[in-house]
Amino acid sequence: MGTVQIREVRKSYGAVQVLHGVSIDIKDGEFVALVGPSGCGKSTLLRMIAGLEDISGGDIVIGGRVVNDVAPKDRDIAMVFQNYALYPHKNVRDNMSFALQQRRVPKPEIVTRVDNAARILGLEPLLDRKPRQLSGGQRQRVAMGRAIVRDPDVFLFDEPLSNLDAKLRVQMRSELKELHQRLGTTTIYVTHDQIEAMTLADRVVVMNGGVIEQEGPPLELYDKPASLFVAAFIGSPPMNFLQGEIVDGNCLMLADGTRLLLPCADPKERSRVTVGVRPEHFSIAETGWPATVSIVEPTGLETQITARLAGQLIRVLVRGRTAFAPGASIHLVVAPGDVHFFDAAPVPELALNDPS
Amino acid sequence: MNARSGLSYKNKSVLGHRVRILAGIVVSIVFLFPIYWMVLTSFKQQVDIFTNPPRFLFTPTIATYVEYMKRADILARIVNTIIVASSSALFSMVVGTMAGYALARIRLKGAQTVGLLILLSRGVPPIALAVPMFLVARKLGLTDKHITLILAYSTFLIPYVMWLMRSFFLSLPKELEESAMIDGCSRYGAFFKIILPISLPGLLSTLIFSMILAWEELLFALVLTNRHASTIPVAIAGIAGDSVNGANWGALTAVGTITVVPVVVFALLVQKWLIKGLADGATKG
Repeated sequence: MGTVQIREVRKSYGAVQVLHGVSIDIKDGEFVALVGPSGCGKSTLLRMIAGLEDISGGDIVIGGRVVNDVAPKDRDIAMVFQNYALYPHKNVRDNMSFALQQRRVPKPEIVTRVDNAARILGLEPLLDRKPRQLSGGQRQRVAMGRAIVRDPDVFLFDEPLSNLDAKLRVQMRSELKELHQRLGTTTIYVTHDQIEAMTLADRVVVMNGGVIEQEGPPLELYDKPASLFVAAFIGSPPMNFLQGEIVDGNCLMLADGTRLLLPCADPKERSRVTVGVRPEHFSIAETGWPATVSIVEPTGLETQITARLAGQLIRVLVRGRTAFAPGASIHLVVAPGDVHFFDAAPVPELALNDPS
Repeated sequence: MNARSGLSYKNKSVLGHRVRILAGIVVSIVFLFPIYWMVLTSFKQQVDIFTNPPRFLFTPTIATYVEYMKRADILARIVNTIIVASSSALFSMVVGTMAGYALARIRLKGAQTVGLLILLSRGVPPIALAVPMFLVARKLGLTDKHITLILAYSTFLIPYVMWLMRSFFLSLPKELEESAMIDGCSRYGAFFKIILPISLPGLLSTLIFSMILAWEELLFALVLTNRHASTIPVAIAGIAGDSVNGANWGALTAVGTITVVPVVVFALLVQKWLIKGLADGATKG
């Protein structure tokens, strides 16, 4: 049974605590992505599940058994590392056979299982090669093959696609998703790339500073971010934020005195708020928030416009093409359901630079 | 414009290449000439050795070799040197490699301090250790025995091996062992099945240097041995410092040449294993 329960897990290095009591309940066959900026503790948590790091507090339960003090080899997990960690002196076949040999699986069965995994991953022509004779994508695939032949309870992935170029990354992402649909093995996947997390996972766990910010299905995180951090982290290009004071019920007064009419009121009726709107939720109309176009970036399918609104740069994403040139005046409209209200607080740094 | 700058860049790189080759030749001459001179002198007759200007053309003779190879003590000392150098190098390799791995990988309180202390022990002048070692050996009745020299040499070889191998292990990605441990190995299994095979080039070069260090060691051999376990450097020193007849240069260079040959042969034998980059391909790249 590939269930994993993480109960109030803590980790500290000396006096520095990096995980402050994290709990996640993972069902059999589920694909869970741990996502967050570097240093948020996601890799540490994964390594604790693997048994490569001690647990300072709490319990990790795999398949109903507390594994806090169980050696990595006895946890029935397979792990794919960011740098693949292929055994350089062994060829592809031996790399994939190694774990089975350690478990004294009969030879004919090893051959069958390795051949099977090689067929699934298209590695058959490469079985006699050494890792140094493979390209990055092929090494990546061998690393996955090494995990598959094990037929473990749980797959652990630590940023497995980070070292690939953009095109290959997208291709491997699809292959990973297909692989999971085919094998149905419980998977825990660590990444700093929110697109990877969104596209692959059944459930995304957003971590920040050693705690869970929010967890849920990808689109729920996109639609209903529970915090400013999640709102800033999920979505690309990132959400726009405007800080100001609520006046007259549904009017946002910015620092420079500009008044923007909101399509709805803050359900929590705060007086000072941060309002978030995703670039793709703006539409350009005759009336609305006045802005001046400063940059136009067409990609064919859509056009990203960077505009100045009351001195602040905001991103607008419109489908298709636009005739607006830099300097043009536009008016922006947003639907009531697409406005997000948060406590007035500094916007997390990462919102300022595009996470992808 | 582009073509011109391209050309001058090419010219520069050709020039750089030539300078490097020239520098290589100069350095090689500086290092190899004394050896060349030693070998040359060993084939000269006594009268040819001291001619001024030195003679490069002469009637070679192997008389000195024949004379000294017939002497039982020289042969016995060569055998002693082989026994002591290979045993102490192998013993130090086993202990030093495992210690180096522990220092590189295992998080232990005070590991750094212990490592530094072991390294610092090499800072003590050997002459300061030689006499206490002799006294201890005499108390234990171990003077003039192979085992005494093997242990004495290990005192400087183990730190040497440990630090060389430690930095080699540090250059390997730790995910290799972690992967092996997830695949079903213990820490020891990961070390023996994955790390050691990958480390072969590092192990061999360390082994060669350890052998050479032990092979040429003079001071401990001089102090701790007398006749039975004495090594070839002691014999050479004896010939050089013969106070009755003065230095016999013919003999000195002949025995010196005999001493160098086994080391060169050994280095050539293992050289093909020293291929760099055996660890390539483990990770991204």
